[in-house]
Amino acid sequence: MYGTLAIARRALDDLADFTGTEAIEELRALARPIEGLRVLNLSVTGFGTGTAELLNSSVPLFTDLGLDCHWQVVRASEDATAVTRAMYQALAGVHERWAREMTETWLRYAEMNAGLLTERFDVIIVHDPQPAAMRSFVTDRDLNDTKWVLHSHLDLSTAQEDVWLLLRGHIEQYDAAIFEAPSFARPDISPRTHIVRPAIDPTSPRNMPLPDDVIRTVLERYGIDPEKPLLCQVSPCDVASDLPGAVEVWDRVRERAPGAQLVIILTTDPQDPPTRACYDDLARRANGDPALWVLSMGNELGNVELNVFQRAADVVMQKGLRKGYGLWVSDALWKERPCVVAPHPGLQEQVVDGETGFVAESTPAFADAVVRLLEDPQTAARLGANGRRHVAERFLITRYLRDYLRILHELSRGR
Amino acid sequence: MLGSVPTTPRSLEDYRPIIGDEPAEEILRLAAELKGARVLHVNATAFGGGVAEILGTLVPLMNDVGLQADWQVIKGADEFFHVTKAMHNSLQGMYYDWTPAMLETWLHYNHVNADLFDEEYDFVVIHDPQPAGILTFLEERAARSGKWIWRCHIDLTDAQVQLWDFLRPHVQRYDGAVFTLPAFVKDDLAGPAIFAVPPAIDPLSPKNVHLPTETVNAILERYGVDPQRPMVAQISRFDPWKDPLGVIDVYRAAKRDVPDLQLVLVASMASDDPEGLDWHERTVRRAGEDYDIRILSNLNGVGNIEVNAFQSAARVVIQKSVREGFGLVVSEALWKGRPVVAGNVGGIPLQIINGETGFLVNTTEECVEKLMFLLRRPAEADRMGAAGVEFVRRNFLTTRYLRDYLKIFCQLSGRETAAAPPPAQVQPSRS
Repeated sequence: MYGTLAIARRALDDLADFTGTEAIEELRALARPIEGLRVLNLSVTGFGTGTAELLNSSVPLFTDLGLDCHWQVVRASEDATAVTRAMYQALAGVHERWAREMTETWLRYAEMNAGLLTERFDVIIVHDPQPAAMRSFVTDRDLNDTKWVLHSHLDLSTAQEDVWLLLRGHIEQYDAAIFEAPSFARPDISPRTHIVRPAIDPTSPRNMPLPDDVIRTVLERYGIDPEKPLLCQVSPCDVASDLPGAVEVWDRVRERAPGAQLVIILTTDPQDPPTRACYDDLARRANGDPALWVLSMGNELGNVELNVFQRAADVVMQKGLRKGYGLWVSDALWKERPCVVAPHPGLQEQVVDGETGFVAESTPAFADAVVRLLEDPQTAARLGANGRRHVAERFLITRYLRDYLRILHELSRGR
Repeated sequence: MLGSVPTTPRSLEDYRPIIGDEPAEEILRLAAELKGARVLHVNATAFGGGVAEILGTLVPLMNDVGLQADWQVIKGADEFFHVTKAMHNSLQGMYYDWTPAMLETWLHYNHVNADLFDEEYDFVVIHDPQPAGILTFLEERAARSGKWIWRCHIDLTDAQVQLWDFLRPHVQRYDGAVFTLPAFVKDDLAGPAIFAVPPAIDPLSPKNVHLPTETVNAILERYGVDPQRPMVAQISRFDPWKDPLGVIDVYRAAKRDVPDLQLVLVASMASDDPEGLDWHERTVRRAGEDYDIRILSNLNGVGNIEVNAFQSAARVVIQKSVREGFGLVVSEALWKGRPVVAGNVGGIPLQIINGETGFLVNTTEECVEKLMFLLRRPAEADRMGAAGVEFVRRNFLTTRYLRDYLKIFCQLSGRETAAAPPPAQVQPSRS
């Protein structure tokens, strides 16, 4: 038995306001043949990651759809957690020195977690590759019929070679693999590969509608002038997010849009040693300017405040991104905010240049695009409205459920 | 010049409707004595933590009432911040093997920061131990001017002797030393005039502003809490001193009587804090499959507004601490008009008038009893909550904090007026 997570009960029908009843009916029809399917989701952590957020939204909805869906967190200790973190970095393409003791620790915990698997499930979905090896240690005959799925929320295309080779043999034991985009997948594995893009939850505190006076109150308390243009970037505090570039864009925008304000919301705690240097660099460039706010979700800024800032922003920017999707952009598009993003595959799936926002690379081009949106409210409104439609079609949780139901369907055939 | 931290302007007048005319006028009278005084606050980080939060309000308010206040952050490399983190823990009672190299690192960076110090101030407030050595090096080069105040936010009761002995000569040079509670002061600290200034909450911050009921309910629902059913909450770190497991036991005992009761536990955790994560897991396990217990944290994106909503909606707020610094979260909850049942430790007895704004408890049984009392008598709970708002209004709002500082400045600079007795003593705890 692993750590079971208490998840809020949720009704799929609550989403009907956002997706229409047709989409909900389609999901119910898809779920009917696999009613009662016992599904276990295993993840490394219960919160603080995009993976956890997706599970938090989707698991109760699968339950509402009639599946017997569970979410548990694998067991780890301090040494195992350190190894898991190092593996995460290596898989994400940041070089890590991988020692033999790390492999030993990793396998020891995989074996221990395999031993904790005592219940029967029809499908076990292992989220992210770090705990993937446990599959190799499951010998119980009762579990022979269980289908194993690896859902990698990570882009594995540039994974560190030695760590990938260590992992690959274990992934070969799986029945299916899920990636977030074709470009994140590995061509060198044999389980059938599916693509399930990530999704946002329109009812989550990050996206729920907010009354105007709550928005006004919060902006006032932070000293943001609602009469002046507001730019917003949400991103981790890392070099690839190009936060200094975002500040530079804003500096250029101010020349043409006097009084423009910038809010940067960091999704990682700037007190962590790796992010501290990046934060200091940002603070230096900000140079005590009262129209620039640097706020952090690692501290006390929560989902509702993020929601407020996105709703209040005239333009949402994403000057850079290391990996993955940067799904905050979909959160912003859902709020009909026009976005300007860097040319990055994950971002460009959300922002189609000229349709749902602008894609720009150089700082001057980026600033031009922002100014254009500030000066042309009609274009801004059109792109914003398109953005919401685009997200509704491609990046809502209902689409995620549909993709998943189809995969579960396929796996349970002949059950 | 160290790094200056930008702050959002604030106006005392925004607080006047909340605190009333008399306290506002008192502040203005004190500020008039100090008009134009140059004040510098120095701490280690512009970001995160209670000190940065306090300065973000205090500094602009000082400017608003006519002082010239600035807030600067010391410079240092990772090696320095590793040492100061250890220093912080060690002063709170954790044992470290202090090597000469570690102490040398601290001295070195204080020396560097003292060399960067090139302006003159009337009052310099140094927060916590990280920058406390700057004064020593300024005195060495005869560059000291103005009154120096060491503001220690840490409870020094259990400080590791070896480190305190090292630090003491540096802080003895100050004109004043400000602690959160008289009990936090070290007996052998001689030299500076000693003041006790309890912390305070900002009624205008997103954590404390009034939220419309629909918004509160909508937030509750998004986090899986049913606004139609009674809920109790505890907002605190997950560690043995806040007893989250005990809170679950208390809730279970009460639930026998109030079957539809819900419990919300909100933790603030650092992703690099294994102890916090470990206690989180223990708490989740204790909760088991009772889904009326919601365990949330900043790592789920629970922030200021969410905490505000949970406090506002709770029938009763619990703070079952068995050891506590000041426990300002108690005042935060009282400010939402909710009665608080809390451990009789640290600064909590200063915030709760037992039986009037909530209850002070010493055991789990007592906690259950008082919680049940308040759950069974909603009118009484509301009445106590209302009394709590008034108590916090008078004693624990950020304007009182501002006033205390102004009084200290007045006293240290010989501007003592009849209206400004020094806040050397805080009220003794009630029980």
